[in-house]
Amino acid sequence: MDSDAFAGFYQRSAPGLRGYLARVSGNPTLADDLMQESYLRFLCATHPEGGEVNYRRYLYRIATNLLRDHWRRPRAMGLEDIPERLLAARDGMSRVDSQATLDPAMALMRPRDRQLLWLAHAEGYSHKEIAEITGLRAGSVRLLLYRARRKMARLLREQAADRSRA
Amino acid sequence: MRLGICSFEKEVIQALKDGHWPEGCSQELRGHVAACAPCSDLVLVTQAFQRVRSESSHQELPGSPGLLWWRAQLRRRNAATEQIGRPITIAETFALMVTVVLGIGFIASQYNHGLRWASWCSEVTLSRALHLVSMGSSAMNGNLSLLIPGLGMLALIGGLVLYLVTEKS
Repeated sequence: MDSDAFAGFYQRSAPGLRGYLARVSGNPTLADDLMQESYLRFLCATHPEGGEVNYRRYLYRIATNLLRDHWRRPRAMGLEDIPERLLAARDGMSRVDSQATLDPAMALMRPRDRQLLWLAHAEGYSHKEIAEITGLRAGSVRLLLYRARRKMARLLREQAADRSRA
Repeated sequence: MRLGICSFEKEVIQALKDGHWPEGCSQELRGHVAACAPCSDLVLVTQAFQRVRSESSHQELPGSPGLLWWRAQLRRRNAATEQIGRPITIAETFALMVTVVLGIGFIASQYNHGLRWASWCSEVTLSRALHLVSMGSSAMNGNLSLLIPGLGMLALIGGLVLYLVTEKS
């Protein structure tokens, strides 16, 4: 991959990767750092064959591993330690209605569920592809995703009901 | 736990992925989704995520691909340099260890002569020492002729190895 090809790949893949890292970590600053590190590691590694689809999947695997490493660090603040109110307050990105709807619901989900939901519903990855990215078994992905989706749907409906009452 | 597997799930996922939901879908599928809880959840959640995903694609990205490319090249070059320098570091460490072992061995081998040298040194006056130096090494005691160059060589090699080892830091 030369620098021009990388520039194109970056423009196409970075928004999704940034969204993934920001939504899963709940910290946009951390997401930006992890995104840059993901691309650096991607560029330094031997790229998988199969073109951009596989490049993108590989990139998400690197990002997922970086997130996992971040949470394993003893001094790092775990996602569970971040107060819900901070998730919204620290979000430097422009907040539009759909984000305002999704973010509070995401804040109530576990990090693993956020990962699975984003990969499945924002990126459109199959269970098998998610299993490759996260290191889980495809069967586990199906079960975990089903539970996470059900919980997320319930939260979204509750929020919608709250808004309509208000 | 029983999964709410629905036979329409794949069809719904495909319609959502292709952007055909709901207008591009059959009345039957729409009716099913309205009645099926797992499919209804699927549509609700996927649409929420797709909206956020679509909006995030318009946001300004931090950094630039050119800068990342340059940083990656630098990192790769540093990694390559480190890899090339690894055998040299190993050789330097090995040389240091050999020098230390030789030094210890030399000191140990000369330890037995220590008392004799001590007594010899006490007997030697300054004038006698100067006399010995002027007479050259042939006049020296056999052990002394081994000790002095040995210590000198050891100090030289030790200094050189120490310099090479600490050069990088």
